[in-house]
Amino acid sequence: MSTAMESPPAASPRWPWLAAFMAEERAAWIFVAKTLLAMYITCWLAMLFQLEQPATAMITVAIVMHPQSGMVLAKSFYRALGTLAGSLFGLALMSAFPQQRELFLLSLSLWVALCAGGATLYRNFAAYGFVLAGYTAAIVTLPAVSNPLAVFDSAVMRVSEVLLGIIVSGVVSDMVLPERLRDLLRRSAREHFAHFIDFARGSTGGSIPRRDMEQAHMRFVRAAVQLEDLRASVIFEDPEARARSSRMRLLNQRYMAASTSFQSVHHLINRLQRSGRDNVAAALIALYAPIGEALSPEPALQQIPGVLAPRLQACEASLPTLVARLREALPETAWLEFDTGADLVRRFASEMREFTALEASLRAGHLSGSVEAVRFSRGNDYLGAAVSVLRTFLTMSALSVFWLISGWPFGSSAMLLATIFSGLFGASAHPITAIVNTLVGYAAGMLAGYAVTFWLLPGGDGFTMLIIATLPFLLIGPYLSTRNTLPGVGAGYTLGYVYILALKNPMVYDPTHFLNDAIAQVVGLGLTAVAFVFVPAVTGSGWQRRRQLVQLRRQVVLAASAPLEGLLYRFESVNRDLFQQIVTHTRPNSDESRSLLAWALSVHECGRAVIELRQDMADSGLPAAVGEAVQHAVQTIGRLYQQPSAAHWQQADAAVDRAIAMTAHHLAQARSNCQSALTHLHLLRSALRDDESAMAPYISSVAEPIHAS
Amino acid sequence: MPREIALADALVPGLLLVFVGCLLLLWLVDTIVGRFGLYRFVWHPPLFRLALFVCMFGAAGLLLFH
Repeated sequence: MSTAMESPPAASPRWPWLAAFMAEERAAWIFVAKTLLAMYITCWLAMLFQLEQPATAMITVAIVMHPQSGMVLAKSFYRALGTLAGSLFGLALMSAFPQQRELFLLSLSLWVALCAGGATLYRNFAAYGFVLAGYTAAIVTLPAVSNPLAVFDSAVMRVSEVLLGIIVSGVVSDMVLPERLRDLLRRSAREHFAHFIDFARGSTGGSIPRRDMEQAHMRFVRAAVQLEDLRASVIFEDPEARARSSRMRLLNQRYMAASTSFQSVHHLINRLQRSGRDNVAAALIALYAPIGEALSPEPALQQIPGVLAPRLQACEASLPTLVARLREALPETAWLEFDTGADLVRRFASEMREFTALEASLRAGHLSGSVEAVRFSRGNDYLGAAVSVLRTFLTMSALSVFWLISGWPFGSSAMLLATIFSGLFGASAHPITAIVNTLVGYAAGMLAGYAVTFWLLPGGDGFTMLIIATLPFLLIGPYLSTRNTLPGVGAGYTLGYVYILALKNPMVYDPTHFLNDAIAQVVGLGLTAVAFVFVPAVTGSGWQRRRQLVQLRRQVVLAASAPLEGLLYRFESVNRDLFQQIVTHTRPNSDESRSLLAWALSVHECGRAVIELRQDMADSGLPAAVGEAVQHAVQTIGRLYQQPSAAHWQQADAAVDRAIAMTAHHLAQARSNCQSALTHLHLLRSALRDDESAMAPYISSVAEPIHAS
Repeated sequence: MPREIALADALVPGLLLVFVGCLLLLWLVDTIVGRFGLYRFVWHPPLFRLALFVCMFGAAGLLLFH
């Protein structure tokens, strides 16, 4: 039996590369077939409904199509929103300035620019909706610019064409051989869960080298951001995922909270070991051991949350007695340090229990009751968005001025293309390469379009002949866009080809118009590239990375001063979003990347401790004098992260010291209130004095020499 | 139901409103069905949803305009 099972795999990998190649080609050609099917159905329907420009509907399909159906549906949803908003604005604009072309073009440029800026502030396809809102205002009004009375009909036509394209591509990609994004989400969610559990289990030894910790941190962050991105698209594909959406968000928040506590525990243990307090470190490791044990049932069950959750619950219940026992064994001077660590370990245990329990209920499909509504907040760079607004505005106004002065009949085509591409590439990291690639593809597409329009199409009659004449050149585009080696060329080719073909019923053959239009479109696209030379892209530039790093540090200021309501969620998610944005554009293992990681870890640890501390102050009535000292400590820490310097470090260290002394002084009278504030303060002090963290350059020797090693 | 309805003085086909109404209804059905995970009992959920929508839209259109 077993030999029979094993023999086929032994025989088949004769040409393993061939099998891989075939699998890849199969996926690519399925995508090509789906795109073409959607395009021709759209074209046929548009002609059947006697829409003015079937080409607009086909272009919509070309832009919206994506191998995964969840992506198509998400993109379609935002595209529909953007189209409606854009056409409404176009109408309003036309009714406001039907006679004043200068004011009209100025406002149009401003609107497109603001939309392009808005696009840089959103992730996923919400960004795309903004681009579309700008672009639709242009496609609705520009064709009707010399005949303002026709603008309403023009708007109705464009919106119908775009919505037709959206509906057809959505239906086709969801019905015909769909590739589910949901499977990808489920797979990666399980992978990340398993990785985190394995990592937490594997570190029962206590001390993890900083390097491993940094790598793990990068992975945790990437996982959190990736899961959120996927979730935002999957909800459009799968009603079941939509019903689970709020739970998935909460799960992600718990994941982030648990990973932060995990890091804090290990940094604390590392610091204790480095400063020669091995007895406390050993006690904490012993305290951590039951969690590791709870996470290690028999190997087959190690990644099943339904098994882990009750074990973690039992473990959590057993921790207090273990804490008391371990505390007894330590000398009294070490109690404060031990309490700090013990609090952290218990926090980690309870967060792990919540995390696995929620994951277990998600996998089992128990969705009774409602859960806390949380959001994954993003860290945005508003100045970067402003640069994008400026660039788009300059491109559009330069083109408008040129159009007005020269009286160029095809100026509207050039403006249209500039609108599309300055929006689409506004948030891209290497826009000039992308635009040049697109331009090459676009020009190739137009050449193919010329051949098809003037040699092939005139000979045919009927829709079948139209398909036969246009298909061979059309399928090049979607096929190229499945290749990663030439980003942008495929999309440019498809757009250029479909745009210039301008299929109509009845078809119009006008070589002069064709050439003029082609020139105008290339000029529009080229000018967009020129604009990126003058006002460079900020995404991923060193300038923006430095700004984002400052913003990341400011997160601690936020933790120290923002209202507590929902602050923890906002803090954790914005931290990760910012970190992910910076790290994508940083060279691995460079000095910059090391400093970024050090800061990110330090911000995580300190910010979280500050939030917990403020939570203590809000929950339990600390004595007034203590409350004041703690508040002062929180503020000075905020100042330190806002502007790191040796002086600020000293102030923060002194303030925390004073708060610790104050709290310890009142401990006898109000033990229950002060105890947890004291441990959090102590954690803060220990994090501030960590000479391997980002604080190292600012630590002055005034501090008591606890880091003798 | 009138074939065309004036919304803010723009004539809109009545069928379009029915279409939008059916989309909302489908969204509602999706929410309920997704909540209980009933789509798992269907072979091809998207196809089922499309068919459901066509049924709803067809029925509503025929009832209101026939």
